[in-house]
Amino acid sequence: MKPPPFSYAAPTTLAEAVGLLTEHAEAEPRVLAGGQSLIPLMNFRLAKPGYLIDLRNVAGLSGIRREGDILVIGAMTRMSELERSPEVAVAAPLLAEAVGLVAHIPVRNRGTVGGSLAHADPAAELPAVALASDADLVAAGPAGSRVIPAAEFLTGPFSTALAPDEILTEIRLPVWPGGHAFVEFSRIHANFAVVGVAALIDLDGDRIRRAALALTGVAPTAIRATAAEGVLAGAGAADVTAAAEAAGAAVEGLTPAGDLHASPQTRIALARTYLRRGIELATSRARNER
Amino acid sequence: MTTANRADAPPVRDHSAKRRWVGQSIRRVEDPKFLLGRGGYIADRITPGTLHAAVLRSPHPHARILRIETAQALAAPGVHAVITGADAAELCNPMPDFGPDPARHTWRCLAADKVRYVGEGVAVVVADSRYLAEDALELIEVEYEPLPAVVDPERALADGAPLVHEALESNCAYERSFDFGDVERDFAEADLVVRDRLRWHRSGGQPLETVGAIAEYDLGTGSFTIDTNTLSFTSYLFMAANTLKVPANKLDIRPVPAGGSFGSKLFANKPAVIAAMCSRATGRKVAYLEDRVDNISNCDHHGSDRIYEVELAMMRDGTMRSIKIDVIDDYGAYIQFGVGHHGNALAQVVGPYTIGSVRYRVRAALTNKNQQGAYRGFGSEVNNWMLEQMVDKAARELDLDPVAVRRKNFIREFPHFIPTGNVYDSGDYDRVLDKALELADYSHWRAEQKRLREEEGRYIGIGLISAQERSVFSATEFWFWFDDPGAPVTSTPESVSLKVDATGGITAILYSCAFWGNSPETMVAQFVAEEFDCSPYDVSIVYHGSRDGLPATGPGGSRTTVMLAGAVEGAAGKIKEKARRAAAHLLEIDPDDMEWSEGGFQVKGDPERKKSLAEIAIALHLFKHSFPADMESGLDESKVFDHPYTTMPSADRKDLGVFYPFMGHACHVPVVEVDIETGAVTFLHYAAVHDCGTLVNPRSLAGHIVGGTAQGIGTALYEEFVYDDDGQLLSSSFLDYLIPSAMEVPELVIGHVETPSPYTPYGVKGGGEGGRMMAPAAINAAVNAALYPLGVRLTELPMTPERILSALRAAGQAG
Amino acid sequence: MAPTTCTISLTVNGHPHVAEVEPRRLLVDFLREDLGLPGTHIGCEHGVCGTCTVLLNGASIRSCITFAVQADGAEISTVEGLAHDGELHPLQDEFAAKQGLQCGYCTPGMLMRACEILAENPDPTPAQVRSAIASNLCRCTGYQFITEAVIGAAARMRATKEAAS
Repeated sequence: MKPPPFSYAAPTTLAEAVGLLTEHAEAEPRVLAGGQSLIPLMNFRLAKPGYLIDLRNVAGLSGIRREGDILVIGAMTRMSELERSPEVAVAAPLLAEAVGLVAHIPVRNRGTVGGSLAHADPAAELPAVALASDADLVAAGPAGSRVIPAAEFLTGPFSTALAPDEILTEIRLPVWPGGHAFVEFSRIHANFAVVGVAALIDLDGDRIRRAALALTGVAPTAIRATAAEGVLAGAGAADVTAAAEAAGAAVEGLTPAGDLHASPQTRIALARTYLRRGIELATSRARNER
Repeated sequence: MTTANRADAPPVRDHSAKRRWVGQSIRRVEDPKFLLGRGGYIADRITPGTLHAAVLRSPHPHARILRIETAQALAAPGVHAVITGADAAELCNPMPDFGPDPARHTWRCLAADKVRYVGEGVAVVVADSRYLAEDALELIEVEYEPLPAVVDPERALADGAPLVHEALESNCAYERSFDFGDVERDFAEADLVVRDRLRWHRSGGQPLETVGAIAEYDLGTGSFTIDTNTLSFTSYLFMAANTLKVPANKLDIRPVPAGGSFGSKLFANKPAVIAAMCSRATGRKVAYLEDRVDNISNCDHHGSDRIYEVELAMMRDGTMRSIKIDVIDDYGAYIQFGVGHHGNALAQVVGPYTIGSVRYRVRAALTNKNQQGAYRGFGSEVNNWMLEQMVDKAARELDLDPVAVRRKNFIREFPHFIPTGNVYDSGDYDRVLDKALELADYSHWRAEQKRLREEEGRYIGIGLISAQERSVFSATEFWFWFDDPGAPVTSTPESVSLKVDATGGITAILYSCAFWGNSPETMVAQFVAEEFDCSPYDVSIVYHGSRDGLPATGPGGSRTTVMLAGAVEGAAGKIKEKARRAAAHLLEIDPDDMEWSEGGFQVKGDPERKKSLAEIAIALHLFKHSFPADMESGLDESKVFDHPYTTMPSADRKDLGVFYPFMGHACHVPVVEVDIETGAVTFLHYAAVHDCGTLVNPRSLAGHIVGGTAQGIGTALYEEFVYDDDGQLLSSSFLDYLIPSAMEVPELVIGHVETPSPYTPYGVKGGGEGGRMMAPAAINAAVNAALYPLGVRLTELPMTPERILSALRAAGQAG
Repeated sequence: MAPTTCTISLTVNGHPHVAEVEPRRLLVDFLREDLGLPGTHIGCEHGVCGTCTVLLNGASIRSCITFAVQADGAEISTVEGLAHDGELHPLQDEFAAKQGLQCGYCTPGMLMRACEILAENPDPTPAQVRSAIASNLCRCTGYQFITEAVIGAAARMRATKEAAS
């Protein structure tokens, strides 16, 4: 399973990288980050980019820094770095927990946060984290930079709002240090998830002030569970039926596709179970913080 | 009732001698090269200038090939040849095929006029590199005429189903019903008949290394030399030579270490044939290494794929009287080993129980899937599962303890002939069960099961199964399916040559012996060390190819250890016989007054008058005139060791004779928890006790038990080659064919019991397959025990979360 | 028309190399064929099984889903670099002692991953080892003796370190 041939460049600046995307547009160019999603597809010959623009030498695309209430993460930041970052652990523990569930360490040593988001696998963890966190994604193109809210970023399975000549440069994650949980069901440990849930719970006393929930594996993209969030808002933190009710509301009207691993009915059941478990875990963590 | 001769048992051996090396868990002789990264696997042996082949696989499950355009591919950079299925049908004869009617279910290395499964090869490209070969594959244009696919085996057998092989005029490649003993009487007298329908879906070996071959055609001699990681049945290689249209003595196949097989590299000749065909066509050395998708979709080694309708006749007190088995086996598009997988089942069809009669009806269905081959257990593991499911069901229906029911029916006198005619040579099933219950902490977990359900609403189940693990098959099981077999073969030899050099150093030559991760070198080294009182690490082991080697059958049916033991014993016996005479001559003593002791021959009771093996050897090698005229120089001997205990089937086939006599046994006791919200199954404990007779290297056998159990866990919970209703292969990569990781396999508590075989050297039996022969049955039992309070019983493997949740929903137990 | 190539410089097992590679050349093929280091094996070529694991700057990676060009400037460690002067690395020796291998095909990748595991945590529990090696599939052993071998090696490596200090 060898990949097809392609032309290749490893530019050193973002401008150069963007320029190459534009210049070689007819070759169906793609950006190469960690390659952990793209290269397997190329080995299967399901992806055949005529031009690969490797971002590994481009300065300024990785790193983690705090800007007030926002955690700014360079798109080329390796997942293993996120996993180990004390800053991420404190400011965005949901992200830290989710990253730890992405495949295995050898994959996280190479895979990047930007690569995962731009690949937009409906089963992936990080797009759900971005959605739940109301993150902003920053893209650079020939006309300059623009901010794409996470809610607008995911447009379909393996498809995003990025234009063919744009490169994701940064993820800006609002800090949410409180109650969080990323839980998922996979058949083999650390394999891709059948269903996943990102849950953020913010308490006011012993009531839920705000909840943010995102689901993977039940729709063409990761989705926000806004109906469920509505059920939880104002509910008591110790109210177990609220979590179950919220989970029920979240799956109403969902029509997931089935596959050899799970039928639509099973996906719905798993989503409900994991939503409930995610909400309970996030809430208990929020309470323990107090 | 039977006309088979029961008097042909080999002499009972005396195993009382003390042993120095056999029974020791020594470090494996094979390991250093693998640890250093110098394993010498097939892909490591590609020399500069070797060309690479890549196969174009069919995207259709069933289609006529109307047209193949190869001109563009042939013109692509680095391409030396493009061979289509039609070309291959001219260059080669059909593949070696032990099926019931090869002329009508003809199997070729590439599909010629139609494709019969997704993944079947339709053309091969030979290029300077695999990269370039795959580039060229994309330039081949194939026009297909899709045909309706037949995927479900029951529908395949129904009237009007699309035919996989028109010439066969049916999708039923074989059908027969056998009766052993008085089934009708036993059922008439039964108090209760327990019935069930069970479904076992296909999984497969999927070793981490795929099949590969490097072939060279020598124009000067018209010979093929093929290095490959698959080899067996060397006496049948004339069939592969015939495929390549050369005489048998112009084909040499040389074994190289394999990165695992579990059966999937047994007689897997297609890659070798493709490489050889390409070598002759290009005049160059050609390597064909399957990639992973080739191996999953096109490897010819999928496992059993069965539907059972079973009836078990019981007495109220728990006695098992009789069993009627009706099994449909989905063989896929070809049937290279016939229904041999059912011979494996018949070898131990009644398990460890005194069931008096058996009806066995087997129908082999052909469908548009990759064909079955060999997978650890070769069909007997499925029978174990089916039988143990029935026993547990019977226990429930009779309201009896499942452990007590098993004990009530245990065979206790040996050798014991089961209704099919096969023999169980030795065993002590009570001892294995007792040890398993102890290691499993059975009463503790029974209490925990109750407590956790009552206090925490958790569903824990303990599975307990007692089942057989046969070893060392006979050739009769290839043909006792037919009243008038074309080739009633009776040979399954294994050969070893031992050479003692002038320094007394010993070299053991293994013939066509595959290293698959079993430990043939370590086994042989331990046997040689035992015979000659040397260190096993001082034995040099050489692997010899097929053409100018002695006959060999290779690994399969857990036969290697016993057969190598016999071959070494035979060769060592001949060496010692000559050495005795030589030593006697040098010492001027009567040979009958000499005895072997501590590495040499001495006058009986007199260590002062002794010749060491080295002294004897140097004399034989260099000092011919010290010996009588009739004693040849040198000290090397060979033994072709044939199956020590095979008897013929009766003409009426009511007695199949002895064909798998060295019978091991095991008890597995897993404790599982089922998460009824997700269908996930996790292990809380797992005890496994095996009896494989005398153990040569206990640690090595334990390793096989754990590894086999891990594969059994895969079969029980995760692994399935999934074809959808249109015949598309959905699980075509490791993304979807799910192999257990370290987190899916628990730590096993392992126990050994040894009831030596009366018939083999040291009393050894084979044990390489046992873990996988037990685990699926045991895990299914455990899951069913966990879900019993909810009225749910799983009868289909693998027990995926989907199947578990569906069953819970059907029972009204899931949200 | 010859495909274009890139020049890469990298260190492998301490030896510097400069080479011309096609951009699509997978790192595993580069190591095995261009550098004559066949110890790293190919299992799946889609990044699932871990058979092809090597270390890049000390971190485990899957060389079947890495292009050789991506390793430009890096330090690669493969199984061939573990033994020194004919002496096995404690991990290799423990794998032999505990029979942590049967066919040996997953072993090089498993050894390299184990190096990383012990570098990060020199005193892991068996459960931690088992969880960490879940990244690497083994079809033969069922993982039990591999876990024992890694634990055994960890103890020896700790003892050596303590003796040295």
